[in-house]
Amino acid sequence: MREVVLGVLRGADYAVFGYFVALNSSYLIMIVLASVEFAKHLRRAAFAGADDMFRSPVTLPVTVIVPAYNEGAGIVAAVQAMTALRYPRFEIVVVDDGSSDDTFEKLREHFDLVEVPRVVPAEVPYQSHVLSVHVPRGEKGALTVVRKTNGGKADALNVGINLARHPLVCMVDADSVLDPDALLSVAKPFGDDPLRVAACGGVVRIANGCKVVAGRVVDVRMPRSWLVRVQVVEYLRAFLMSRTGWSRLGGVVVISGAFGVFRRDLLVQIGGMAHDTIGEDAELVVRLHHYLRDRGDDYRVIFVAEPVSWSEAPSTWKVLGSQRRRWHRGIAEILTKHRHMVFNPRYGRIGLVALPYYLIFELLAPFVELAALILLPLGLWADAIDLAFAWRFALVAYGYGLLVSLVALFIEEVSFHRYPRWSDMMRGVVAAVIENFGYRQVLAAWQVWGAVAAWHGRPAVWGTMHRTGFDTHEPTEVETVGIKGG
Amino acid sequence: MFAVFGVAILVLLGVLVGTAAGIIVVRVGRRVRGKRRAALAAGPRRALLAFVAENGEEGSEDLIAIPDDAWRAALPAALGLLGKLRGDAHSALVSVFLHRGAARAALADLHARSAVRRARAAQLLGDLELREAVPQICELLTDRDHEVRVVAVRALGRIGDAKAAWRMIASLDLRDPVPSLLATQALVQMGRGAEVTLSAALDHPQARVRAVCLDALGLLGATGAVSRMARVLADDDILDVRVAAATNLGRLGARGALQPLIDSLDPPHPDALRAAAARALGDLGAPAAVPPLAAHLDDGEFQIAHEAAHSLRRLGPPGIAALKERDNDHCREALALLQPDLVGAQ
Repeated sequence: MREVVLGVLRGADYAVFGYFVALNSSYLIMIVLASVEFAKHLRRAAFAGADDMFRSPVTLPVTVIVPAYNEGAGIVAAVQAMTALRYPRFEIVVVDDGSSDDTFEKLREHFDLVEVPRVVPAEVPYQSHVLSVHVPRGEKGALTVVRKTNGGKADALNVGINLARHPLVCMVDADSVLDPDALLSVAKPFGDDPLRVAACGGVVRIANGCKVVAGRVVDVRMPRSWLVRVQVVEYLRAFLMSRTGWSRLGGVVVISGAFGVFRRDLLVQIGGMAHDTIGEDAELVVRLHHYLRDRGDDYRVIFVAEPVSWSEAPSTWKVLGSQRRRWHRGIAEILTKHRHMVFNPRYGRIGLVALPYYLIFELLAPFVELAALILLPLGLWADAIDLAFAWRFALVAYGYGLLVSLVALFIEEVSFHRYPRWSDMMRGVVAAVIENFGYRQVLAAWQVWGAVAAWHGRPAVWGTMHRTGFDTHEPTEVETVGIKGG
Repeated sequence: MFAVFGVAILVLLGVLVGTAAGIIVVRVGRRVRGKRRAALAAGPRRALLAFVAENGEEGSEDLIAIPDDAWRAALPAALGLLGKLRGDAHSALVSVFLHRGAARAALADLHARSAVRRARAAQLLGDLELREAVPQICELLTDRDHEVRVVAVRALGRIGDAKAAWRMIASLDLRDPVPSLLATQALVQMGRGAEVTLSAALDHPQARVRAVCLDALGLLGATGAVSRMARVLADDDILDVRVAAATNLGRLGARGALQPLIDSLDPPHPDALRAAAARALGDLGAPAAVPPLAAHLDDGEFQIAHEAAHSLRRLGPPGIAALKERDNDHCREALALLQPDLVGAQ
């Protein structure tokens, strides 16, 4: 009997060992693919035609939708910065999702808003009640502010989609800071390949520690907190590199809700954002793939690596935990909802590569990570494995992981080199090391919690976000809205 | 098996150290190169700025005399200026580029094996507005690389030679065509000289070609093509093409567009076309469109009633009077935008 138990234990340890080899190798492959894409992007920047696009009368106009819930602290600066984006024709629709703070009052005061009777079509369903629509007095109609009862982010976005007057819709978080050419970059693929491009995501980087002047990131710095520094490295590896790699493979299934552009007609056809998931941004993209594959369309969902949207990352463990539980819950919900697409050849690379990858290497990764923390000591204690195996395991799981992070930093340095200070780069390297000691393990616990919550159908809660803002260090507590269902 | 892993781990450690060292080397290398390039480019940049300040009347000899390595360092700035300058200053800078042999080199590069070099060459020739290069750039419209085709379209637009219009239109009828919006823009940049070709292409069997030509004709203000466009609006098999015809007939503002657009307002025409016709009638600006538009203020389709109301608002007093006679959400929304506070917020 003991031999059987030892055999099982040994087998489990070897399986986890193999899993980490595969996981880190998959990251490395994505980084290599991303580096090929970056090289292509940089070599072609000289003839990308951004200026031509800016001057062209036929450039597709964009509606920028900004859902806002209790964003009084920064909403005026955010909208001001968005109005200054470099793009020939665009409008901004701010959807105040029943804020209990002074979000709307600040907007009204600053932009001299007046109420207009506006018919809100119901091309995509929304569950709340639109209270009023406002525009700036006597100015060109570049800004619309909608007040509605609280219904959650997805609902606010759906109201924005209904009010959007332009063929492209860009979804941006109210606390995001966009690079001046960000809109040109994410909308450009629609002009270059209008028949096929269905959606385009932009990269999101961490703004904590950066110097922001007049709604622009003017000096990129590493954050002061090690917790956020680790997230900077994580964003580089997991978002910038991984999504660019997936874009190269034609398998983008996540476009961040903080910065992405979609064809409005397609959003209407698929019914807009789903109300029944907390990961509404990724779910939208998966549903878009589902719809377009079912229709047999030749289409592309792509990701551009530069310029970027800057967002504030959680600076406390509590908020980080809430965010990661939510993210993982979102992955679990999406994979459950669209489980018939996974391993289904009907959905091409999405069904056979991208979604299985998300199932095996995203959803299950924290389970395996936690399992390793139990199985490895247990195996050592029971003599199922020896010390040689244990240190090899540690090197594969953590050493290889560190290598992946360092390669990501290297690629960042070669391609975009956004962190000009030596000290910042050194902090990035150190953050890549310390990520493996505690951060990963705690994160895994939260992620497991999030996934289990999704499968148990517990109500989803967005938690509390402490915003420090970009120019001030005084914390502003922002309660974010809970989403019904789940 | 684990012996292999022992070696793998040594390799891993080596790569770790190598990567860290690589970051340092890349950073130091970039700084050294940047400083060297900045030093080399400083003189030429000053000369370029002086040249532009003099509107290109003086200083061209200085620019031509700049050594090759310094010119290469200043090339991004020179190319940037080339894309921004107009008139005499542009011509003078083009002349500098030509004297330096840039056009000759670019023409040769149009046949390079590297897609990046072909695209860069086409871009430069477009910025130089070199008409002699049009036939060769036209060949790139069927290039195997999508981005080269895109750059070729933009370059031809920049040069603006209407002789390229037909080749551009033909390139829309390929299995992997050039982008419609870019082609439209380029055809518009070719000006009135392209009108005849565009008008003739309205009979092209490929729907994408017809739609692009309609947009280009509308943006060019080609009032001579109204009757042909009206025929497309009435008879085309493809809805998107008919919608484009309606939109551009409105844009033209010609009297001959009125009746075809009114005829498109009612069922059994598809809703998308009816909405486009309602919007186009507002753009057209003809008071005679008021009664048919007013008849659609209570249309069951949101978009048609909405467009009709806003078109009536744009048509001025007769349209506003029609809006005041009705009492529905669309009319109230349109009328509200006439308040002094909201003029412009449309």
